Amino acid sequence: MIRSVGVLRTPLGGMKRQDDIQSLADEEVMHLVQEGDPRAFELLYDRHGGPAFSLAYRMVGNRVTAEDVSQEAFLSIWRSRARYQADRGSVRTWVLGIVHHRAIDALRRNLVHEKRRSSAEGIEERFEAKETTPGEAARREEARSVRTALEELPDEQTRVIELAYFGGFSHSQIADMLEMPIGTVKGRMRLGLDKLRRTLAGVAA
Amino acid sequence: MSVERHHVQEENVGAYLLSALTEIEQRTFEQHLDDCPVCQDEVDRLRPAVHALPRSVDPVDPPARLKTSLMAAVKADATEAAGEASRHGMARRVRERIAGLNDALMGMRPGVAWVAASIVLLTGVLAGATGLYAISGVNTEEDRPQAITAKVDKTRVPNGSGSLVLPADARDGAVLRVHGLPTLENDSVYQVWLERRGEVISQSTFTVGEDGEGAAAVTDSLESADAVMITRERAPEAKAPTEDSIVRVAL
Repeated sequence: MIRSVGVLRTPLGGMKRQDDIQSLADEEVMHLVQEGDPRAFELLYDRHGGPAFSLAYRMVGNRVTAEDVSQEAFLSIWRSRARYQADRGSVRTWVLGIVHHRAIDALRRNLVHEKRRSSAEGIEERFEAKETTPGEAARREEARSVRTALEELPDEQTRVIELAYFGGFSHSQIADMLEMPIGTVKGRMRLGLDKLRRTLAGVAA
Repeated sequence: MSVERHHVQEENVGAYLLSALTEIEQRTFEQHLDDCPVCQDEVDRLRPAVHALPRSVDPVDPPARLKTSLMAAVKADATEAAGEASRHGMARRVRERIAGLNDALMGMRPGVAWVAASIVLLTGVLAGATGLYAISGVNTEEDRPQAITAKVDKTRVPNGSGSLVLPADARDGAVLRVHGLPTLENDSVYQVWLERRGEVISQSTFTVGEDGEGAAAVTDSLESADAVMITRERAPEAKAPTEDSIVRVAL
């Protein structure tokens, strides 16, 4: 009987031992995942599982549902791994996009919204994460700078963006909640995103 | 593309990027997007702002069991896929062998051809019987996943079905897969239990998507276990089952 010997083929055609994949770039790891390698998938999870869970937790508001959302999202990533296209964005963006959609599905199919709707301040008053782990200072710093950019937007623009993106509410639900025309909500979303983009570009420059 | 239609759709750009359109609106917008370079440019221009939003979230550590459960499901999937590939490879090799045999038989006398065909096909059958997995050179016989069909209480879960996918080594636990289970209220979860010598041990919890599908890890060894089962419990998890199992796999 022949066993595989823990050697991986890289996108460049060379052979890599399992130990070496730690040094691969995300796109190379993703290539191995696309070949169906669970060890590469484990590395992918190690790199992006934290941000994914954090986003899910921020959106759904409790650890159990966040865990379910993350599990569903990563299983979906594994099963639809062939769909990843490197030229359409980073692996992190792709992973977080899938988590975001799964969290919205979860929000829209259960009662979380109903509970939040009863509290007008529900979105903002949610969870400040208390856990800290070594090596996460950079991510906290990044989070702080993006939040600062968000806070620089006019309040009404920040509010519609947060309700939509993190709350999973549709434009018409937001219009109902804030008692304003749908056109105004859509306009604020677009203006807010435009200003955020400019601010972040300024921060980066 | 009409200008009027463009003006209607253009105001949806932000809502589209923030996933705030309804499904129908989203489909309509995407159809428009296919034909409208102006909206395509606007979506591309604003997309970085949306991609930055998840980065505003403070890091929170996921529970360790998330990785355990996820990797158990992924490894079971990979093993199953390798088994499938191996079976397909075997079928292909048999087809190739038969095709090659046909070519070879063309020039033989009928009696010789029949004996030759019998030998080649018998070899193929024996190869299949002695282990499809060894032939591939990738997986061994003990890598082959086995699945045990679950018994489902159809009075409570009419559309439910499930199976327990076993790894090669029973000490590695297993993955329980279900289909057709209803989604639960937000404060409820499906909980997986292992029954061993009268003791019931919690394994993991899970929920199912709208498609009713789900997978959960059985993290304990299956050695000496009598059954794996699922109950519906209040989140985050129960210390002991509060109802009779709705899904049960006898071991």
